[in-house]
Amino acid sequence: MSSRPQVYWPKPVEVEAGADGAPLRIGGVEVEAVRERWLVEDRWWTPKSLQREYFEVVLASGRDIVVFREPPDGTRWYEQRG
Amino acid sequence: MYAELHAHSSYSFCDGASLPAELAARAAELGYEAFAICDHDNVCGAMELAQACKDTGLRPIHGAELTVSDGGEPFHLTALVESAAGWHNLSRLLTEAHADTRPRPDQPPLPPVLALDSLLERNEGIVCLTGCARQGALPGPWERGEPRRAEGRARRLLASFGPERLRVELQRPMWRRDRARNRWLAGVAERLGVACVATGNVHAHDRARAELQDALVAVRTHTTLEESEPLRRGNASSVLAAPAAMAARFAEHPEAVAETTRLAARLSFDLTSQLGYRYPGAEDPEADRTLAEICRGRLDLRYAGLPEAAEAERRLEDELAVIRKLGLSGFFLLHFDLLELAREVAVEVRGPDSARNLLPPGRGRGSSVSSVVCYLTGLSHVDPVRAGLFIGRFLNDEISEMPDIDLDFPRDIRERLIPRIHERYGRERSALVSAFSTYRSRGAVRDLGKVLGLPPGEIERVAQVADVYARGDEVERDIAEVLGEARAGTPRWRWLARLAREAWGLPRHLSQHSGGMVLSTRPLVDICPVQPAAMEGRQIVQWDKDSCADAGFLKIDLLGLGMLSAVERCVESIAEARGENIDLSRIALDDEPTFEAIRAAETTGVFQIESRAQMQMLPRSLPETLDDVVVQVALVRPGPIQGGAVHPYLERRRLLREDPGYRIPYEHPTLEPILADTLGAIVFQDQVIQVAMAMAGFTAGEAEGLRRAMSRRRSEAALNAYGESFVAGAIERGVERELAERVFEQVRGFSGFGFPKSHAAAFGLLAYQSTWLRVHYGPELLCALFNEQPMGFYPPDSLTHEAQRRGIEVRGVDVNASAVECTVEPRPGAEPAVRIGIGYVKGIGAEEAEALVGERERAGPYGDLAELASRSGIGRESLERLAWAGACEALGHPAGSAPRRDELWRLGVARGSERRRGNAHAQLALALPLPAPPELRPLDSWERIVADYSSTGVTLGEHPLEILRPELEPGLALCGGLDRVTDRTEIRIAGMVVARQRPATAKGVVFMLLEDESGVVNVIVPPPVYESCRLAVRTASFALVAGRLERRENVLNVLARSVERLSTPAPAGGEVRQIEPPVHRETGRDPEHADAVAEQPAAAAAGGGRAREIAAVAPQPHSFGRRR
Repeated sequence: MSSRPQVYWPKPVEVEAGADGAPLRIGGVEVEAVRERWLVEDRWWTPKSLQREYFEVVLASGRDIVVFREPPDGTRWYEQRG
Repeated sequence: MYAELHAHSSYSFCDGASLPAELAARAAELGYEAFAICDHDNVCGAMELAQACKDTGLRPIHGAELTVSDGGEPFHLTALVESAAGWHNLSRLLTEAHADTRPRPDQPPLPPVLALDSLLERNEGIVCLTGCARQGALPGPWERGEPRRAEGRARRLLASFGPERLRVELQRPMWRRDRARNRWLAGVAERLGVACVATGNVHAHDRARAELQDALVAVRTHTTLEESEPLRRGNASSVLAAPAAMAARFAEHPEAVAETTRLAARLSFDLTSQLGYRYPGAEDPEADRTLAEICRGRLDLRYAGLPEAAEAERRLEDELAVIRKLGLSGFFLLHFDLLELAREVAVEVRGPDSARNLLPPGRGRGSSVSSVVCYLTGLSHVDPVRAGLFIGRFLNDEISEMPDIDLDFPRDIRERLIPRIHERYGRERSALVSAFSTYRSRGAVRDLGKVLGLPPGEIERVAQVADVYARGDEVERDIAEVLGEARAGTPRWRWLARLAREAWGLPRHLSQHSGGMVLSTRPLVDICPVQPAAMEGRQIVQWDKDSCADAGFLKIDLLGLGMLSAVERCVESIAEARGENIDLSRIALDDEPTFEAIRAAETTGVFQIESRAQMQMLPRSLPETLDDVVVQVALVRPGPIQGGAVHPYLERRRLLREDPGYRIPYEHPTLEPILADTLGAIVFQDQVIQVAMAMAGFTAGEAEGLRRAMSRRRSEAALNAYGESFVAGAIERGVERELAERVFEQVRGFSGFGFPKSHAAAFGLLAYQSTWLRVHYGPELLCALFNEQPMGFYPPDSLTHEAQRRGIEVRGVDVNASAVECTVEPRPGAEPAVRIGIGYVKGIGAEEAEALVGERERAGPYGDLAELASRSGIGRESLERLAWAGACEALGHPAGSAPRRDELWRLGVARGSERRRGNAHAQLALALPLPAPPELRPLDSWERIVADYSSTGVTLGEHPLEILRPELEPGLALCGGLDRVTDRTEIRIAGMVVARQRPATAKGVVFMLLEDESGVVNVIVPPPVYESCRLAVRTASFALVAGRLERRENVLNVLARSVERLSTPAPAGGEVRQIEPPVHRETGRDPEHADAVAEQPAAAAAGGGRAREIAAVAPQPHSFGRRR
């Protein structure tokens, strides 16, 4: 039996963002609160540089999830297992 | 709205990517009103910030981020200076933090750390912020789940600083737990009754430096970018942002933002006016009288009966009056005291009976030589009255900075004098000035290439090509030339080029200035932090010479001048070898053989006039007197060259020689008395001042201001302003506008570096004295130069070949004849020979060399190798090095045997038994003679040269070119035969590259000095040729040049059309194998690196055979180029 490590690849997600860039609705569910907001700009010296803005939010459903936008001023959003 | 209270400059050494001036300029541009730099555990950039903020409207705030320990993990606190008392305390605290960082001299320093108790005891005038988001006093324990510990620390800080001087520091580095941390910190602040303050923890002034900051973190932590991920900041938010953007970043903590400007308003300490520095002697009420008494007493002795006596007395009284007015008598007495101390030290160093005692302990250089007070107090050895030196540059009643007094000492006296000064004035009151090593292309390629994870072999190949003095923007081209365009275009190499460009000029680490020392009446540690230097017993202030000058510190330059040491050694060995005591102050200054040598440019090894450019000029200027030599020394400097002084001076000398009645054309009659000595050209720095005063009516202070604007960080705007005043002043005095403008253009052209006449006089005399020694005591001077290396323009191998060509015998290193250092060996009825010392063999330590020589002197010469091994007390590896250098050849070999190989074989036999015992460094104890070696092939000439270069760096037998010659193309010209070749003949010539030079003043022209078995020749490489042959010009140890012979006024040059690396057939028996690069998919190797392996055999095949083989060990050419 193989024991391949499990990789949690980010999943694309629909996000509606406000004027300040923070998510207002994720997958149609309203964002209750933004707990944290941070930036990752790294691996710039490689062909695959990272430029992401992350949000840890609490949804109206009570879920606490992490989403990011890549690049920080772009429109593609992903959910990442926190 | 927002003031930045926490920024790091590049003086945080690899944790900050911008200079203070860059940060200040950007902050002013973004609309900041106040800005603080808090570098890690130092204030190295504080004065630079203070100066940079002038005229910007930005108010500088000073401080430091302290690394503090309370027994556990060290943490950070931000200390900001509120008042003069705060600055004094911060200086003392930083001094204490560094006190134990050098437990082992010459080892890398330990990180500084301050005991928390010290900070709690001594903090008046300091405002404490609780530190950064990662390692701050509170966030650190909070992150580790120890909030109680954090709060306990906060309460200790509160008890000492009180709520007025403690702030809880909030940062927003855009990390995941920022909000939670700041909410918790705000809660702590509320419980303690302390305000919060927001800070940016800025590390770069511009977004373009963000990546460099990441790379520097990896450099600092000796890791790669990949490995340093947890230590880096992870994003670019540490780039300086606009105040409004910062306020938005802290939207949840508006009070913390408002507090930044409230606090900044309180931090009013002004570094430029509140330091409270005074030099020793400044307060002495008797200083004026004491100085006058010393000078008048000596005036009577020095000038009694001389025609200059009246003029000297008048100048002395004038100078004393200016000194009294400026309150500088104590300053001169302090120097007098230092020189008396130097005299004591000189007697100790030289010994009571040394021939060197006829020489002064040191001598002045620079503008101080023009002062009669300096002459009478012994600070200068040149009589300024007789030499007609102008005082204005050194001393006038409008000077705003402390005058410069530079003193040159032989190296050994200087080494002893520095700790003695610490003893005399106290370690708290004296320290050396620091210097900052800054990134240049080569170092940047090495450091940054490593952190990018590029292959070490390739990094080194690129680094070798990088022009040390060129700005970083040439690295991209260097990479493409060495590795090819395709590879240079890959992301990591592209990043290397960009990072090297950004890093250029940033300080990398702190080191010691070559000789500047500051002395202070009140403890220096109150004024600027002091830390231990790498050399035992020495300590340095955290400011470099510019910051010390800006602070108004009295800086004394105690410079170690290699040629002074060499001259002293030379005088000593003349006494030993020939029994003659030479007093250099009494030698004839019109010695014809000496001037003949100077005119013929036979000046290799002497002071100043040995350089390629000087040698080019001497046969044209044909100096006849010491004054001519003084002008000559000053002529080859950027100032006179850029000012267009060289050609008119040489041309007018020629015209004067041909027609003694020739009248020098002066631009204006007022210039004649000023420029008469230099035939109408501006050659000396002080002539600029005199011209401005005579022609435009400048006061001495205004003229000195013009000179300063020209030489120090010169500013175009300031120069233009002086230009307008100059022209206006000249017109007022009846000079036509066009003429005034033309003269000012000559003055402006002088803006590069130039010597004051006084400095040139001191250097010219030493140039003459060393030439006199070369002419009359050649072997002794050569020996002294060997022992004082590194110094001068030529490596020892070139000095050797040149000396051999003029009949000086140089003998090889010999265990039965050599001393530790090189020595002069008398020869009956002939000039002495020079013997290479045991210490010249690479890898032989001083102790081993002394042991070997000591045993030989005690119990007689060594009979054979076994005896050498058992008696000398030196280890096996050193014995092998001696054998390889040929030092054991005199121990006896049967005819037809193979010296060096035989000895290595026999040492190898013994080595086997040593290895079995597992003791690699053991001393060999060969009690019994070893068996005779088998029949070994003697070293051929080529192998011997390789052995010589790899062991002593000097080869005494055939020149490498002589051996290469049969393998080279026929018909090549010889350096020594060029004087018989017709002018403008096209030639091809091969040689070893002895020196290469790319002066800033030569508009891209590169000069190479080629040496073959018959002599040397200068090669001029014009810019287009340099562009097409850049790699060969920069890196070849042996070169083949095609070009045209040019002969002008007794000077020969080859004007190159092409330069290539000299290649010869590969030696027999060698095999070049193609190594296939690994397949990427199988190995998973980064495809960017794949070409690296393939490159190596290709390069070897392009090779150059034997020339390439020897190039690996040949002495590196001395490279000279443009400095910043």
